[in-house]
Amino acid sequence: MLKQRIIPKFLLRDGRLVKYRRFFDDERMAGNPVSTAKVYNDYGADEFIVLDIVPSAESQQQVRDIVKKMSEEIFMPFTVGGGVTSLEDINALLRAGADKVSVNSHAVRNPEFVASAARQFGDQCITVSIDYKDISPGVPRVFIDGGREKTQHNPVDWALKMQDSNCGEILITSIDRDGMMTGYDTDMIAALDEQLDVPLVVSGGCGGLQHCIDAFGAGASAVAISSLFLFTDHSPIKLRSHLSSNGINVRASKTSRN
Amino acid sequence: MTSVAIIDYGRGNVRSVYNALDYIGVDAEITDDPAVIDNASHILLPGVGAFGDAVEALHARGLPEVLHRNVFEKGKPFLGICVGMQVLAATGFEHGEHAGLGWLDAAVRRIEPGPDCLKIPHMGWNQVDLVSEHPLFAGFRPETLVFYFVHSFAVTTDDTDKILGTCDYGAPFVCALAWDNIVTTQFHPEKSQDSGIELLENFVDWEP
Repeated sequence: MLKQRIIPKFLLRDGRLVKYRRFFDDERMAGNPVSTAKVYNDYGADEFIVLDIVPSAESQQQVRDIVKKMSEEIFMPFTVGGGVTSLEDINALLRAGADKVSVNSHAVRNPEFVASAARQFGDQCITVSIDYKDISPGVPRVFIDGGREKTQHNPVDWALKMQDSNCGEILITSIDRDGMMTGYDTDMIAALDEQLDVPLVVSGGCGGLQHCIDAFGAGASAVAISSLFLFTDHSPIKLRSHLSSNGINVRASKTSRN
Repeated sequence: MTSVAIIDYGRGNVRSVYNALDYIGVDAEITDDPAVIDNASHILLPGVGAFGDAVEALHARGLPEVLHRNVFEKGKPFLGICVGMQVLAATGFEHGEHAGLGWLDAAVRRIEPGPDCLKIPHMGWNQVDLVSEHPLFAGFRPETLVFYFVHSFAVTTDDTDKILGTCDYGAPFVCALAWDNIVTTQFHPEKSQDSGIELLENFVDWEP
């Protein structure tokens, strides 16, 4: 059967690997993205997500260069996004070596964009990334522009609308939990899983091995992880063996394959 | 000398196939030039785009004839990946009904989510079960027969002799075909880390 996926998520600012809490607080530098990716590749991560969090014309070119370098030496799927506002942007990222392109703010501003991108590049190429936070207890709303701009969309309704626009995957990120390492929003994961037919990648809050088990238990297809790998001694290998011994269907770790 | 022609039909990311072959030190070229394809020792048809669109793009570049000449007359080793496997079928049902290249009696149909409400696309790493042995999978063990898939459509065929491998997603589907000098995979070796590199090494060493 299909394996559950472990996906390191890289946030890039001006081409550097960074990490925040709740999107804006407590900026920390986290190393060189290409060399870090190679380490995780050796650890047998299943995919990579690379997001340019403060996109500009210059940073987008940097991201393309970084993805090109990664894809020359790392042979696994890359999802890349940040500042994607045109079919040309998608094409440039695919040509640089991305396999999937993540679309976020532009999908909200131009509801037809995802459908036309899916038509041109194939459904499986288009990931819709959704950032959300609670505007009051139990009232989540989608935020765009890197968490700066509030929208009226409920994340579940928005995900379903994007699925109807033929996206191939949903990446859902809790702004409230980002970098906090207190666990994924399993209620949101369960609510999305119940209604979605496309794969669901969950992000925001992973701080321990049990959090991943909880996310898969709630219905995640894949867990996106930043802080746990960047700032603790947990590696994809350790996570994988822990998941495996807890009955989660993951790939055998790379060390056992050699 | 081994050289691989990666067939370029102007769709999506074929660079990753080139990168993987380059990584293992094989001479490879992304091309739609008949002269280059005629001179190559191995032919690789990568998988990008939708079925009908891919077949149309191949025809627009006159490639079916070039492929036929190299694969059936010259007998060169051929590897079709993902949509590059699917287009060999007689018919595809992605966005309407389309004629394929018709190299085998098969159809390409949408995967049904089934009673388990499986997610579509089938996206991620999954186990390949081999029906028979083949040089492409020489040296593999069950734990290394795990590859990266991303697709919503799959090949169905009554020509069961050509089925090399299946994969379980709610129900078994055909994930590898092989006959004569032709071999195909629904999964993406160029995205399957060490297992994929090993498979591509086997392909370029293959002398059918």
